[in-house]
Amino acid sequence: MSMNEFDDTTLRDRIAANPRPALLWLVGVLVLVALELGRIADGVLRLGGAVGIMVEMIVTIPSSVRGAVASSFGTGAGIAAFVIMAFILLGTVAIIVKWLFIPWSLVDRLGIDVSTGREDILERLLVTGLLAIVAAALVWTPVGGLFEMLIGVLTRGVEAVGSLTTITSREIIPNQGYQLPDGSWEGTFLGLSPALAWGLRVLVVYAYALTWLGWLWKGYEIFREHYREADWTPRDDSINRLRTHYWGVFGFVVVFMFVVMALWAPAVSPVTAEANLYSPYGNEIQYYGDDGVQSITHGDANMNSRSQGGDENVGLMSYDDYDRFHPFGTNTDGKDLFTFLAYGAQVSLVIGLLATVLMAVVATVLALITAYYKGVADLLAIIASDSVIALPRLLLVLLLSVLFMQANHPIAEIYDGGLLLALIFAGTGWPLLWRSVRGPALQVSEQEWIDAAKSYGQSPAATMRKHMSPYIAGYMLIYASLSLGGVIIGVAALSYLGFGVQAPTPEWGRAVFEGKSYVSTSSWHVATLPGLLVVFLVTGFNALGDGIRDAIDPQSDSGDGSAAAATGGGG
Amino acid sequence: MSQNALETGTAEADVDVDSHQDSDVMVEVRDLRTYYEGDGLFGGTPVKAVDGVSFDIKRGETLGLVGESGCGKSTLGRTLIQLESATGGEIRFDGTDITMLSGTDLKEWRRNAQMVFQDPDSSLNDRMTIGEIVREPLDVHDWKTPRERRQHVKELLDTVGLQREHYYRYPHQFSGGQRQRIGIARTLTLEPEFIVLDEPVSALDVSVQAEVINLLEDLQEEFGLTYLFIAHDLSVVRHICDRVAVMYLGNIMEIGPTEELFSNPANPYTHSLLSAIPEPDPTAHKDRITLQGTPPSPRFPPSGCPFSTRCPARIRPPEYQDLDNELWHQLDTLREVLRERDRTEKSVTDRIRELLGKEPHFGTIDEIYAELFGDQAVPPAVEDVLDDAAELARGGNERAALDLLGAEFGSVCEGHEPDGAAEADDADAEEPVEPDYHVVSPSGRRSLCHRHDSDADYRKPEHVLDDRHR
Repeated sequence: MSMNEFDDTTLRDRIAANPRPALLWLVGVLVLVALELGRIADGVLRLGGAVGIMVEMIVTIPSSVRGAVASSFGTGAGIAAFVIMAFILLGTVAIIVKWLFIPWSLVDRLGIDVSTGREDILERLLVTGLLAIVAAALVWTPVGGLFEMLIGVLTRGVEAVGSLTTITSREIIPNQGYQLPDGSWEGTFLGLSPALAWGLRVLVVYAYALTWLGWLWKGYEIFREHYREADWTPRDDSINRLRTHYWGVFGFVVVFMFVVMALWAPAVSPVTAEANLYSPYGNEIQYYGDDGVQSITHGDANMNSRSQGGDENVGLMSYDDYDRFHPFGTNTDGKDLFTFLAYGAQVSLVIGLLATVLMAVVATVLALITAYYKGVADLLAIIASDSVIALPRLLLVLLLSVLFMQANHPIAEIYDGGLLLALIFAGTGWPLLWRSVRGPALQVSEQEWIDAAKSYGQSPAATMRKHMSPYIAGYMLIYASLSLGGVIIGVAALSYLGFGVQAPTPEWGRAVFEGKSYVSTSSWHVATLPGLLVVFLVTGFNALGDGIRDAIDPQSDSGDGSAAAATGGGG
Repeated sequence: MSQNALETGTAEADVDVDSHQDSDVMVEVRDLRTYYEGDGLFGGTPVKAVDGVSFDIKRGETLGLVGESGCGKSTLGRTLIQLESATGGEIRFDGTDITMLSGTDLKEWRRNAQMVFQDPDSSLNDRMTIGEIVREPLDVHDWKTPRERRQHVKELLDTVGLQREHYYRYPHQFSGGQRQRIGIARTLTLEPEFIVLDEPVSALDVSVQAEVINLLEDLQEEFGLTYLFIAHDLSVVRHICDRVAVMYLGNIMEIGPTEELFSNPANPYTHSLLSAIPEPDPTAHKDRITLQGTPPSPRFPPSGCPFSTRCPARIRPPEYQDLDNELWHQLDTLREVLRERDRTEKSVTDRIRELLGKEPHFGTIDEIYAELFGDQAVPPAVEDVLDDAAELARGGNERAALDLLGAEFGSVCEGHEPDGAAEADDADAEEPVEPDYHVVSPSGRRSLCHRHDSDADYRKPEHVLDDRHR
């Protein structure tokens, strides 16, 4: 649409005008979802459970504060603390609710006339009040019971969906069986060998994930072709730059593989986590022994499949005595190492990402505020961060994790201490990130476009977001991807020392710890493979960060800048 | 010469800056002061960037603001659009004192006053497209619908001489002149009445400067804009401005109609500033007035007239009236050197340099004396004073030496009571005499200099300059 002005239609209007491509794409999405509905429902259930625990914990904060204050300052102070804490929490929720769900202004609806500055505050107070009424209704009236029943029904519905089989499930492509004396396999998928059956399942998983990726890309292309207002936007250039950035693409591939491995851990692991890690003596397998087909528990079988060097070893891509296939061999107590690592990837990714995102957010916000306001704000942040940096980090992390775990603090139970570790790493890691981006932030805050924004009345928050944060984002991506590696290594180090994520929950560092004395023996794989995975993952994140940094910078040299300039006029 | 003009402008103590109230005044600035606090956590002596400035800007005119770097002209411009908050005084914009505005009122007012920045490389956010940049003020003020905003921005791009399809380009794809046009388009989006142009062309190639200047003039005509044009390029100022204010060390030294001020300057500072304009004709005879020393620190401005430390037409005390010009020059140099020593001796690095014997910044007092007065015939009266001062300076007490020299050779310009009153009551010395603005022409041109005071019998600056510098 070369030179004509934009017609101001919404995306919905544009889709209604030409629904075919969108519907086609949507059908594809539905098919993809249907294929893995059971697993998706399962994921939703687990996520819902985690959110539920978080909400419960947050809800108990005012009461626990009241308890703590009341025991030292008396009941009155306790109640006051309760009210203040409840108000702070409700107010915070109110800001989020207002931001996400209430696009219109309550103050305007009610016809209250105040100046704009007060209006925001009044608006928030109103929303807070409404939320307080809802909360009181939930706690003290039958509405609360009704609400719980509703959630219960919902949960059972999702559970029912979650039990559906999916194309990547173990039931459809089983890899557990036994070999008859004639060499044929019993119990495996189409009588294939367990190795092939397992390989096929992994293949299906990655094919499915790749299909999703391709279909999402297709969706973007359909949007670009049929529904986007502009022929060209800056985003196109960013994506083109990323696509031709081979180091970044390498990083993307590595990260993608790890994320898929973590998300589909139950599908890519040869044995279930339950049988392998949590209750090996509660699950039986069948094998063909001297007396024909026999049963044995995983736990007993593991006794004969340990990798402890010398003859006692089950190496890469091999079967043990009970016809179980171990792609990465077994670990020192005979458990399947690949299963351990697949589930360990979940733990590492969740802790690493959570901690990195948390500290990057804190560091970015702090860098923006200190660079914009300078002076006292900067000084306070320097004192705070220097105080944290001055403490030896690993010692601090150790101390805090032991403290919380010994005290059986409720936080330490979420995700087997994973959340606690993420919080500790974020709490001790932000000063370094902040220090790294403080310089760039100060530099950009001296630019005249900041003055210009102030001169036409842009708010400080918006100025920081639009005019400063894009310049820090590049640095932040690099430093955050570096510290992501640091966190993963740190968690591994903690587990290596015997702290951190506790057994039986798998964690890569613990695998390295367990296998370290066999590195020079035939069981070298126990420590080496997880170590290599850590290296790969960290490198991959760094490469991806590099690629994205170059992609979002329009002045970056890579990519076809001249072509962008040529088509820059809107076609 | 301006003899008539001076006579008509009968000097009065309080110059009536409101004398042009009848014409349509848009901005009234009264005794405006902008101080920057010290760097330390607990403040310290503030930098007096703008130190008591009063003037009017009439609707539709272009007021030029000239002066050397660091004289506070940018700070004045930034204070006018409230990028800096004023320490004192008033800025009345159509009758409203905008220094008192805050919050929503301030944001609403900002629509009326915008600024074009000096450096087009730094004033545009490189991560945003031209469209986003120019549209942002409209987004901030929630102007009409998004569609109308886009339309408006594209029209503006047209107006400033760019193309509509540049909407989707990035700033780094443009040249300096084009970037400045984008900046101008941004200032115009909110349809302001008043625009501060902070050296809008000084960062551009000479070939592009004229284009941008012409664009600014066209826009002024088209939209009825009022400009405050900050510049140090005097020829550009002469071309575009209706009136000019000359600034020195946070004060306006002279303000009046451009042509008159350029052809017939009244204030000694204006004289010396104008004498710095290069003459295109190489054969033309021109006497350049070179100012002595460096501008004083705005943290510690001199008492009395701000220009007194460097003024080429400073009033000399009557008892030394017949001293040689050359000797006066040397005396001024001596005081400048002492001031320099007094100011810098506090610095630790210099002491260390001296201790290490590394090229000390200044020689001993005797070396200075030898250099300044070695081949001069110094009258005995002056000799005595100089000897006393040297004694004090040798003892490391530059301050006292300066005070002594000031009391002897200083005049009303440096804040001493004129006509021997200084000797009579030293107690009064705490209240230095400040110069007043004097109307120096029928057009209402004002100048800050004692020499215009018709009650006292001073010679006019131009005559003095003729005598001393020709």
